[in-house]
Amino acid sequence: MNPDHPLIELRNITKTYREGDRERTVFRDLNLQIRRGEFVVLLGRSGSGKSTLLNLISGIDLPTAGEIRVDGRSVTALSEHERTLFRRRHVGFIFQFFNLVPTLTVEENLLLPLELSGGYDAAQRRRALELLEQVGLADRAQSFPDRLSGGEQQRVAVARALVHRPALLLADEPTGNLDAETGSQVLHLLERLGRETGMTLVMVTHSEEGAALGDRILTIRDGHLAERPAIRAAQA
Amino acid sequence: MILRRASLRYFLRHPWQAMLSVLGVAIGVAVVAAVDLANESARRAFVLSIESLSGPVTHQIVGGPNGVPETLYRTLRIEAGARAAMPVLEGHAAAPQHGRRSLRIVGVDPFAGNVAGPYLPTAQSGIDLRRLLVEPATGLLARATAQRLGLALQDRLHLEIRGAPVTLTVVGLLDPDNETTRQALADTLIVDIATAQELLGAQGRLSRIDLIVPEGTAGASLLERIRAVLPSGVELVPAQTRAASMTEMTRAFQLNLNALSLLALIVGAFLIYNTMTFSVVQRRPLIGTLRTLGVTRREVFALVLGEALLIGAAGTALGLGLGLVLADGLLGLVTRTIDDLYFNLTVSKLTIAPASLAKSLVLGLGATVLAALAPAREATHAPPVTVLSRSSVETQAHRRRPWLAGAGAAAMLLGAALLLIPSKALPLSYAGLFAIIIGFALLTPAVTVVLMRVLRPVMGALFGILGRMAARGVVVSLSRTGVAVAALAVAIATTIGMAVMIGSFRATVAHWLDQYMHADIYVSALESTPVNASLDRALVERLATTPGVAAVTTGRYVTIESADGFTELNALSLGPRTHEAFAFKEGDPATLWSELQQEDTVIVSEPYAYHHGLRVGDTVSLRTDRGQRPFRVVGVFYHYGTSQGVVMMDRATYDRYWDDPRIGSLGIYAEPAMQVEALVEALRQRAAGFAPVNIRSNRTLHATSLAIFDRTFAITSVLRALVMLVAFIGILSALMAIQLERARELAVLRANGLTPRQLWGLVSTETGLMGAVAGVLAIPQGLVLALALIFVVNLRSFGWTMQVVVDPMVMVQGLLLAVTAALLAGLYPALRMTRTPPALALRSE
Repeated sequence: MNPDHPLIELRNITKTYREGDRERTVFRDLNLQIRRGEFVVLLGRSGSGKSTLLNLISGIDLPTAGEIRVDGRSVTALSEHERTLFRRRHVGFIFQFFNLVPTLTVEENLLLPLELSGGYDAAQRRRALELLEQVGLADRAQSFPDRLSGGEQQRVAVARALVHRPALLLADEPTGNLDAETGSQVLHLLERLGRETGMTLVMVTHSEEGAALGDRILTIRDGHLAERPAIRAAQA
Repeated sequence: MILRRASLRYFLRHPWQAMLSVLGVAIGVAVVAAVDLANESARRAFVLSIESLSGPVTHQIVGGPNGVPETLYRTLRIEAGARAAMPVLEGHAAAPQHGRRSLRIVGVDPFAGNVAGPYLPTAQSGIDLRRLLVEPATGLLARATAQRLGLALQDRLHLEIRGAPVTLTVVGLLDPDNETTRQALADTLIVDIATAQELLGAQGRLSRIDLIVPEGTAGASLLERIRAVLPSGVELVPAQTRAASMTEMTRAFQLNLNALSLLALIVGAFLIYNTMTFSVVQRRPLIGTLRTLGVTRREVFALVLGEALLIGAAGTALGLGLGLVLADGLLGLVTRTIDDLYFNLTVSKLTIAPASLAKSLVLGLGATVLAALAPAREATHAPPVTVLSRSSVETQAHRRRPWLAGAGAAAMLLGAALLLIPSKALPLSYAGLFAIIIGFALLTPAVTVVLMRVLRPVMGALFGILGRMAARGVVVSLSRTGVAVAALAVAIATTIGMAVMIGSFRATVAHWLDQYMHADIYVSALESTPVNASLDRALVERLATTPGVAAVTTGRYVTIESADGFTELNALSLGPRTHEAFAFKEGDPATLWSELQQEDTVIVSEPYAYHHGLRVGDTVSLRTDRGQRPFRVVGVFYHYGTSQGVVMMDRATYDRYWDDPRIGSLGIYAEPAMQVEALVEALRQRAAGFAPVNIRSNRTLHATSLAIFDRTFAITSVLRALVMLVAFIGILSALMAIQLERARELAVLRANGLTPRQLWGLVSTETGLMGAVAGVLAIPQGLVLALALIFVVNLRSFGWTMQVVVDPMVMVQGLLLAVTAALLAGLYPALRMTRTPPALALRSE
């Protein structure tokens, strides 16, 4: 692992979808590099392709043309099965609708990614509970998600995304379904934990406050990426 | 581990969904297990009784219509040196005073030793066998039989033999040392051979002679010597072939029951499919999340299949238990049918065959896995994205519809092709039949959409916007309704198909009886043993000369046993009146009657021709009293009296080859002016003073025959009802699932002012429509099933051709049954939907 190499590299990515009889192009010849430990914010209108970009980076979706490399590995060259294994080891996901497993307790939801990556030991379980404490929900470990408020559910989702120490954290409008105050709490939690663990974070958001936390801000418009100066840098 | 816990909890949260599936599989498995257990019990009881009774016996000497002459026994012992030999005479009696329809009488030699096998007690029993020999009218019973008859040692046993009362003394109680022998000796009275001959009126005759022939060269030379002294008309057969040829007779009947029971399981499999599909559809977003978190397709597949297996295992386990209970009930029906159609059979208790249970277990789990494969595969295709709208699932269901319809058409073509393969193999026919059923099921969604499209404006005109909504509702949740409708349609189609087949069969038989039973009155001997069934010559003379009798025909019905099995032979005195009784499938009626009066010709019944591959011009080889003789077939006639078939010859031909002048039955034609009932009365009076005989009018015999016909199909109605029950559970489960899914939509309607009553109406209209679609689909499906059953399965099983008779009421009933079942199944879900406060449903999203 070379710390100077970009963690994520998109080379000449084109993505088209078939919609009925016509073809829609989401991206054309897109190029992007994201360095290790960077906090990147993705902006753009609804339907501009932000989520598609996250799906491409995580290997959920494949580009029509071009190559995607994550940590030096060509994700686009992997089989579906290999991409799934890659995802569960190296990627953490946070969704707008929390997407906790309703039939698992908070603790079990947290342990799920560990178990998927081959099981967990006592130390890892301790760490999971510590994470839960850090998100302020240590006392809700045995509750089922439907007993939690939206903000609490999203905090569990944040902890779940971090529990297996992925190199890359992808967040798709993590505050989109929360009120402003709760959303702000979640954002700061995400930033703090992300930076503490040194992982790379790519976040799609509509919120100004979220954008303000990023090291880089990328905007998708008409299938192209434009970079604008980070607010944080501008403020500095 | 955590994933498994998640899926388990999913079903714990929707307990009815899992429970109904478990119940559906359980009933399916129970029916399969019960039929198999009952069949197996009947078969085993029969084989065991034959094996146990033949005991160490290796060979038997069997005869023709006259049985075996007693003198042969002496010849065998003295001239052939067959020391291990025992004469046997079998017959039966009624024991009405002891509440028994029939008791078997077996006459043996009390000093035959080893050859007697289980018939005689061991030396340790303390029973004095000399009493059998010395004292007249004495016999032995198994202790259990004596108890059932309410008898103790030295008690008197009152019997009726050929209508005459007879009393015997029980001088010994047998205590068989094993269950097999106990079963084999059930309802059996053992007497000395001379007593048997006297009781049964068969002096000088034997049913057979049992032999023990050692293996090796000594045995071979003994067989050689025995064959050398055998007169023509008797044959030496290995003991096992008897059991084999008798079980072979019932094979087709039992196989058909097995196939019918499989239908219940198929419908049960629909239920599993429905439950798993629903659970997958409902959890699609969740599965999408799991896929994003890194759960592989394989893991998702295994997860869903694992869930199905759990349900299947629970259902199968429950089904095996239920099956044991059900089997006990079915055993009586199976036994009675075999008793009516084939041979006397007493089965005292259910044998729990591990193989039957294992078979049902494999079928139950197998059906589950097969049914869950598609939903499990479907689950792996849940895209790993964050949100997925419900409608896209339905869009997929609709997109797949043409493919499903195509696959359905292909399955039906395959089924038709399988049915058309000219083979006697029944499993092949059933594979074809099941392919057609699956084909119809796959076509269901497409047909449902078309029907609803047609119905929507009608419903709109009748019930306004709510009516249109109901019609649309069925189509909107097609991924669930389609399967439920298909399952219900299969069940209704089974009912229609079986009803049409049985109705056609019955009409054919009734029509045949009308023609075949041409005489006005039938007189038959009350037989106590096949060896002696005959009418007194003087009685025949007396009856024939009764005033009012226009003409008389005679019949002699005998069974010829050989190493190849049993042949039923009927020797008829032919006359112009008899000719009208026959309808021919092959042969020219204009010439064959005169041909039949020439030497060595026969006509054979349709099943006989089918089973033996015979056509006009071929020959049948029969063992006569003059040795084995070929007879030329000059006609194949329709006859539904026995599924093994019957060979018919002119009485003159019979008399040339068999030394048997006896007459078994009479057909009496009344003078045109004579009242038949009055003539019956007159004949009965003239018969007084002779050994009792049966004198029955055409009408009575006709009714009795049809009553037996109906009785043999009683078991099929039980099985059909069970298939319906599974389908009912299927539609209930589907409706509950839809109710859960549509809670929000309906809550919105309620919030907008739909009253609970209107909501109830909406839901009930939808379920009623589903039932109607199932009913409409079931009609062609049922007719196709009926045709396949009539022209392929029945023909291949029994060799019978039937005319197709379709009673329109059967279709109407099928349709009503479908709508009623659906409406009933919809009651509870509708009630729940109306009772749920809209606020709760709105919040629950």
